[in-house]
Amino acid sequence: KYELYSMDWDLKEELRDCLVAAAPYGGPIALLRNPWRKEKPASARPVLEIYSASGVPLASLLWKSGPVVSLGWSAEEELLCVQEDGVVLVYGLHGDFRRHFSMGNEVLQNRVLDARIFHTEFGSGVAILTGAHRFTLSANVGDLKLRRMPEVPGLQSAPSCWTAVCQDRVAHILLAVGPDLYLLDHAACSAVTPPGLAPGVSSFLQMAVSFTYRHLALFTDTGYIWMGTVSLKEKLCEFNCNIRAPPKQMVWCSRPRSKEKAVVVAWERRLMVVGDAPESIQFVLDEDSYLVPELDGVRVFSRSTHEFLHEVPVASEEIFKIASMAPGALLLEAQKEYEKESQKADEYLREIQELGQLPQAVQQCIEAAGHEHWPDMQKSLLRAASFGKCFLDRFPPDSFVRMCQDLRVLNAVRDYHIGIPLTYTQYKQLTIQVLLDRLVLRRLYPLAIQICEYLRLPEVQGVSRILAHWACYKVQQKDVSDEDVARAINQKLGDTPGVSYSDIAARAYGCGRTELAIKLLEYEPRSGEQVPLLLKMKRSKLALSKAIESGDTDLVFTVLLHLKNELNRGDFFMTLRNQPMALSLYRQFCKHQELETLKDLYNQDDNHQELGSFHIRASYAAEERIEGRVAALQTAADAFYKAKNEFAAKATEDQMRLLRLQRRLEDELGGRFLDLSLHDTVTTLILSGQNKRAEQLARDFRIPDKRLWWLKLTALADLEDWEELEKFSKSKKSPIGYLPFVEICMKQHNKYEAKKYASRVGPEQKVKALLLVGDVAQAADVAIEHRSEAEMSLVLSHCTGATDGATADKIQRARAQAQKK
Amino acid sequence: MGDWDGVRDQQLYLLLSEFCYFLMVLEKTLESPLDFKEIQPYFGHLMRRVDSLENTPMLGGIGDKMDGKERVLCRMISFYACEMVLEEEGVYGDVSCDEWAFSLLPLDVDLLSMELPEFFRDYFLEGDQRWINTLAQALHLLSTLYGPFPNCYGIGRCAKMSYELWKRLEEEEDGETKGRRPEIGHIFLLDRDMDFVTALCSQVVYEGLVDDTFRIKCGSVDFGPEVTSSDKSLKVLLNAEDKVFNEIRNEHFSNVFGFLSQKARNLQAQYDRRRGMDIKQMKNFVSQELKGLKQEHRLLSLHIGACESIMKKKTKQDFQELIKTEHALLEGFNIRESTNYIEEHIDRQVSPIESLRLMCLLSITENGLIPKDYRSLKTQYLQSYGPEHLLTFSNLRRAGLLTEQAPGDTLTAVESKVSKLVTDKAAGKITDAFSSLAKRSNFRAISKKLNLIPRVDGEYDLKVPRDMAYVFSGAYVPLSCRIIEQVLERRGWQGLDEVVRLLNCSELAFTDMTKDDKASSESLRLILVVFLGGCTFSEISALRFLGREKGYRFIFLTTAVTNSARLMEAMSEVKA
Repeated sequence: KYELYSMDWDLKEELRDCLVAAAPYGGPIALLRNPWRKEKPASARPVLEIYSASGVPLASLLWKSGPVVSLGWSAEEELLCVQEDGVVLVYGLHGDFRRHFSMGNEVLQNRVLDARIFHTEFGSGVAILTGAHRFTLSANVGDLKLRRMPEVPGLQSAPSCWTAVCQDRVAHILLAVGPDLYLLDHAACSAVTPPGLAPGVSSFLQMAVSFTYRHLALFTDTGYIWMGTVSLKEKLCEFNCNIRAPPKQMVWCSRPRSKEKAVVVAWERRLMVVGDAPESIQFVLDEDSYLVPELDGVRVFSRSTHEFLHEVPVASEEIFKIASMAPGALLLEAQKEYEKESQKADEYLREIQELGQLPQAVQQCIEAAGHEHWPDMQKSLLRAASFGKCFLDRFPPDSFVRMCQDLRVLNAVRDYHIGIPLTYTQYKQLTIQVLLDRLVLRRLYPLAIQICEYLRLPEVQGVSRILAHWACYKVQQKDVSDEDVARAINQKLGDTPGVSYSDIAARAYGCGRTELAIKLLEYEPRSGEQVPLLLKMKRSKLALSKAIESGDTDLVFTVLLHLKNELNRGDFFMTLRNQPMALSLYRQFCKHQELETLKDLYNQDDNHQELGSFHIRASYAAEERIEGRVAALQTAADAFYKAKNEFAAKATEDQMRLLRLQRRLEDELGGRFLDLSLHDTVTTLILSGQNKRAEQLARDFRIPDKRLWWLKLTALADLEDWEELEKFSKSKKSPIGYLPFVEICMKQHNKYEAKKYASRVGPEQKVKALLLVGDVAQAADVAIEHRSEAEMSLVLSHCTGATDGATADKIQRARAQAQKK
Repeated sequence: MGDWDGVRDQQLYLLLSEFCYFLMVLEKTLESPLDFKEIQPYFGHLMRRVDSLENTPMLGGIGDKMDGKERVLCRMISFYACEMVLEEEGVYGDVSCDEWAFSLLPLDVDLLSMELPEFFRDYFLEGDQRWINTLAQALHLLSTLYGPFPNCYGIGRCAKMSYELWKRLEEEEDGETKGRRPEIGHIFLLDRDMDFVTALCSQVVYEGLVDDTFRIKCGSVDFGPEVTSSDKSLKVLLNAEDKVFNEIRNEHFSNVFGFLSQKARNLQAQYDRRRGMDIKQMKNFVSQELKGLKQEHRLLSLHIGACESIMKKKTKQDFQELIKTEHALLEGFNIRESTNYIEEHIDRQVSPIESLRLMCLLSITENGLIPKDYRSLKTQYLQSYGPEHLLTFSNLRRAGLLTEQAPGDTLTAVESKVSKLVTDKAAGKITDAFSSLAKRSNFRAISKKLNLIPRVDGEYDLKVPRDMAYVFSGAYVPLSCRIIEQVLERRGWQGLDEVVRLLNCSELAFTDMTKDDKASSESLRLILVVFLGGCTFSEISALRFLGREKGYRFIFLTTAVTNSARLMEAMSEVKA
């Protein structure tokens, strides 16, 4: 037992006049003064005060709601206040109201008689005893699921004592009525009897469950204490203290995995520790005190002091037991002697080494240091360990180093100003992450950061997380201007990896500080994070420009569709106009989904060119009837005129004409004309022998001569109408020459006709024509006549085998001749 | 590298991470991703596939069939749209949706394709930037797999935007690539609109020719009965694993036939060795060589068949004339004659796509058509191929592929307007009709500056190519490849200011070099070339050649493999 703090608080009333709740793991203490169970002065409102474990006031507020039956802390260090009407109010560490929930109608009607807050693996639970002597509980206040427990048969009055126990992840209620014990689970109520209970018990006055829900202690009206397992299958020990007065509190006091079992029982002025020994240890209490069960002991605080009562750990016991010869004790001694520069140090050392126990000795010292509360003692033990370590070759240093680090952290948080009296065991159970969270919860950001830096925690888990929390707290300070907050946050956070500005901004928005949120979002590097929040804050236009900046089109799309629903059409289009990228994206969307919108878009921009194209497209895709298509084309042509694209306008008008004409042709001649090109229309006409009409059409649409000739040539050849072709060829001088005639005849394998035209081919192409009809000899003559080197080689390349041997020689000779000249 | 294990793993990771039913939503453009042998064994029987979101009837009604185990995988972009459809179907909550970052498809040892043929139209015509994000993600993926790129170059607006977005992604998720040894020394991003000319030319290297003639899709080609000389068509994978193909893919077509017949003779000789073998030798031969020989034999006959088929098609269309005209256009002489040729081409209705291609080539090389030709060619075209092509022309004009020579002053007015927009940061991201309107190709000047038309002394020996011009019969060095060559040589754009200005990219060319000593000399030889908007096999061949000459190794990442016909079809409004 040692003193943790002398309490700093300045209590006006006695503890017994207050509702008291202290959170485990060195957590804060809540006091509700002036509770209703006293005959209250009508006017005075009670005051809820929250102190740290060292008595530093954290918050104080006037209680304005209904009468409170019970107080308790949740695992997240939130204060749960159970009101008489079953409403549970949840407060933060600093007295800030978080939320409230009700424990159900049944509780509301019957009022709350008693309530307990208990801890489970999932979080914190609330158990309530109603005025109708029924129990209702919820195993996790974070995820509220109310469970009404079955009725206890024959329960007429409140049970003498009860508690919530947690076994196999399920919460039960254990209650005592007179001499009987009942266990309530959600299905049934079963009577249980502890094995080996001394006879003559007429009622249980107090019961206590250990921190880990492993052990149960019962205090009877005979002053007898039974200790056993919670399952009531095994009895550990019993003790008769001969005090029949009901104790004020009874809590377990043992460390995990320790064989010693002990229970602390407190009366008004007496504290008794009983265990598996005939004797008990008694302390006198000078003041009103309150017991807080911890994982490895009991905290006892009163108006003036705060003490920790625990079983001495094995390592410490071995070292500090009087005349102990444990290796650790010897090592400590050796080190002390060494400091005194006495040769005894060597003797002690040798003694340990002879036994080969130096490693254990060092280990013991390190371990014991961990359990020491006072830095001086820690130091001397660690010094001894380090001294011993020097004489060991291969002692892994990490346990020593880690202990030093842990102790520094522990000493820091145990500091009076911080007021978290954690023991080493509790610290290990709690883990550093949770400890950091608790520091953050107490707004002790600098300390938390220092710890992170000291322990070299990775930034994402450590410093940046804390900074993010700090920033979230910062945005809630409503008295500071937006600019200042944003600047301050950015200065502190900079580009620390792992800090999400958007999270902070979301918090700011949650506090109704939209402007601040926008400012903070400016610092967010990932646009993907900015945009959704901006949309939520109805800053769609800003979101749009951010999305565009990001280049992520999916994001832009999201915003666009959002905007489309949010704004009216005109505004939406105006917004788009200023954002070309979004506009083109939306256009693409419209092309596939909403053609009409596309038209409106072009209209709005006075983009007549595109409007024209749009109508043309429509004339092919949307319209079935000729009239509709012509109308669409007319609109298109008008648009093209507006766009000053006369070419397109003319072309469109021609198309209208052609369409109408094709329609007429279909009516008159049958067959398919619609949607043929002009060229194909004329070809079709010729092929069906409508030469006159074809001529007419060519004239109407001003088909150039060259095309007409090509067209007729091909068509007539296809018809194999050689007579007509010859007539045609003689109608006037061909604008495309006569080589094509030769070619086309050859294509139809009509050498006879081809030869006719070959003679009419102009001199430049004569050779080619002759070669085409296969007259190599004549081709050679012409080539030689032309004295053209290129033509001669062309002919030469066509000379094959023996048949053309003479011709080839002829060319060679001519060549040689030409070269001579 | 080269086997792209990292890339493949990345793709499979998502699929393998959870065992459940899949419902695949894939863009319809992806030819047949489920044929990938990697996926099939795992999930073939579990997958149900919905080809496209536009195919909503397929998605519609899936609500009834779902049992909550399905997982919807979407290619990146349709993610949002897919969610909407699922929501309408009322099954949104029942399925888990994942993006399948199916961004990179390894087609060959040195070729990654994103298989986004729609990229070209979407970006260069519609100004739609949705794929840029996909691109940046793909680049990011590559840099996480192969380390950071110490040297980055790029030109073009899309290149710049993708690059910036990629860098941003990198910053957001930093740490991963830092400190890794770079495996690829250089990355070069190039917009397709920097060089339309090369893409518009007829291809004459074998692989390009096969693509032009038969269309290579997702790295494989369907050879019809006329090639296989049987009554079935055959799907053939074309990549480096095909040994015969690998040897001829980069060759000029005129060499291919000779090579193949030589090969056939060798093969015959090897077969002939059978004669005069004793039993043991024969056994050896059968067990070890015969299979390889058979395989080779099969491939050889396929490629010979393909060659014959190509020859037949090409001679029919007066291929020589066509090539001659193209070369004349590239060199810029006899413009009148070429124009007449094009007109004749149109009048004879040879092929709508070909005609269009020639018109574009004329327009780009000549910096736009003179107004008279512009009108008359268009009129002719409409008369030949149908008036609906009015829309096609409007598209081509917007993309800057087919324009009218405008009086100088109006153009500069627009240009200054655009450049003003460019300087403004937000507006820098605009690709609007404006910029393309003002796009002048300045091809002639660039060609002179970069010496794209090699001076020919005598015959160009296509068997022993001297420079990259061999991919176009020695008549023209692909502009895109020349730019890459020059930039790599100079390690940046210094000294190329004039060229950059002529490309209208004064603000859009960038270099980013990090002094990184960790880059091994080996990695510095490795260059990743990213074509935004597609690249042609000719360009790939040219760069492979350059690599062999200069000791580089090029790797290609393209949004899709393209050719002139695909470009034109993308711009065309009339779907065949």
